[in-house]
Amino acid sequence: MATQRPPRVMDPYAERFWEFTGQRELRLQRCTECDRFRWPPGPICDSCLSEDYDWSEVSGRGTLLTWVTYRRPYFPEYPAPHTVIMVELDEGPLFVTQPHELETGGLRDGLAMELDWLDGEDQYGEYQLPVFRPAG
Amino acid sequence: MAAQADLDRLWPLKDVAAIVGVGETDYAADYRTARGEATATGSGGGDSYVLAARAFRRALDDAGLEKGDIDGLCVGGPLAHERIAELLGLNPRWSSGGDAPRSVIDAVQAIQAGLCTTVACVYGNAQRSANVQYGGPQAMGGGGILSYVYYAPWGLTSQGALYALMFKRHQLVYGTTEEQLAAIPVALRKHATLNPNAIMRERPMTTEDYLNARYIVEPLRLFDYCLVNDGGVALIVQRADLARERRHEPVLVSGFGWSELSVDATQLRPRIKDFYFPAHHDVVAQVYPMAGVTQDDIDVYATYDSFSVHLLFTLEGFGFCGEGESGAFIQDGRIEVGGELPCNTSGGMLSESYMQSWNQQVELVRQLRGGLGDRQVEGAEVAQYAHDVAGKCMSLIYTKGG
Repeated sequence: MATQRPPRVMDPYAERFWEFTGQRELRLQRCTECDRFRWPPGPICDSCLSEDYDWSEVSGRGTLLTWVTYRRPYFPEYPAPHTVIMVELDEGPLFVTQPHELETGGLRDGLAMELDWLDGEDQYGEYQLPVFRPAG
Repeated sequence: MAAQADLDRLWPLKDVAAIVGVGETDYAADYRTARGEATATGSGGGDSYVLAARAFRRALDDAGLEKGDIDGLCVGGPLAHERIAELLGLNPRWSSGGDAPRSVIDAVQAIQAGLCTTVACVYGNAQRSANVQYGGPQAMGGGGILSYVYYAPWGLTSQGALYALMFKRHQLVYGTTEEQLAAIPVALRKHATLNPNAIMRERPMTTEDYLNARYIVEPLRLFDYCLVNDGGVALIVQRADLARERRHEPVLVSGFGWSELSVDATQLRPRIKDFYFPAHHDVVAQVYPMAGVTQDDIDVYATYDSFSVHLLFTLEGFGFCGEGESGAFIQDGRIEVGGELPCNTSGGMLSESYMQSWNQQVELVRQLRGGLGDRQVEGAEVAQYAHDVAGKCMSLIYTKGG
């Protein structure tokens, strides 16, 4: 059985995003008129207002920007301590995620990170959660 | 932003209106009743409307006005617009609503436009009794694109965590320390002990107490978080020429500014990459020229402080110190009453009550009226409020009417 996690926010755009993650593909919408990546998924390009986009696979590389450690638990699925990080993807978007194969003592500003995957399950079913570990 | 603010059009709004009445509920009693303790004056059974009505009545008394004098209404908090007007027996000629700075700014514009003369701004919020959650599975605003809801699968939740992420970034970029941050909750607690209406009036706190308290979302600790409470606040804003006949010396609304940073808000970019500075700078370009003052003229300052770190970011963004210098700036009593720039002198939302920007306006009005005893900022003539909440940056400058 996959790891239970707090629920995803679902809409038609998010649904598509998570479908790709099922194949361990991290794809973000990219505007086909102005090339801007957007995250989280949504209906229009906030730069040029175009409704046209494709799901473009990103490199899965980025750098560590900031992090926090929960000392008080909020979700039953995530007992404390639990660490959340923010990675700036090479393609531009800022991505909230979890550190993988990285102790909190190893967190460093600007650390090169790469994509990895963990399994997950919520009311919408099983999925793969994109997480980040130090680049090898 | 499309263009610079048009100062030629902003200037005529200077000193058009004044705050002539303020009212609050009894925050400490509200706090105890929301926790099930019996008190004589606590909140009315967890009803936001009762709290708002109580504050409104006190504000009218404070102004020396009758209900029939009110011809404009601004509604804040979770109150339904029509219902609160009905309950207060008001048929306003104009109305608006939102948080405190928005309400005051809207009221000034409506008064200048001739739509009304005397606006009641009322807020009531029984959030403690209602057990409103600002994080976790039952987080307020759940279901929508709210960043801390969107990232729940990764375990990110709560407003506090967003500010913890910001503060951690500030630490990484500028070297700010947790020991430096302690100066804010400690100063605000000291102010609360001088304020008879503050929840924490009898609970002094040292730097050691602060540092020994548990982390909630590291690097933020328990006392970096505000006091979620029931309560109500009301302000009466009136056309300046009429304001001179009120019970207290009027407090003029002399300047304001507004700027928002919403692009990439869910990604948290304006927070993490910019600390909201571009919005602060845009507001600086409006509020000070409009009021005809500079940062050096501010005698008393207040910022939205749902979390202690708000103060760091606005002190830098509004130019009281350089970017990255707030950690050092706030030391040695500088932000305490008696210091160079007394901040959040009521105790703020950390130690007075989490009244979501409303109690700060009341405190600034009282500081400019004078007579607050040990809490009084000597000779206060110019006061500033800086609002920096989820990308909505606003500021108000108040001056002594005299």
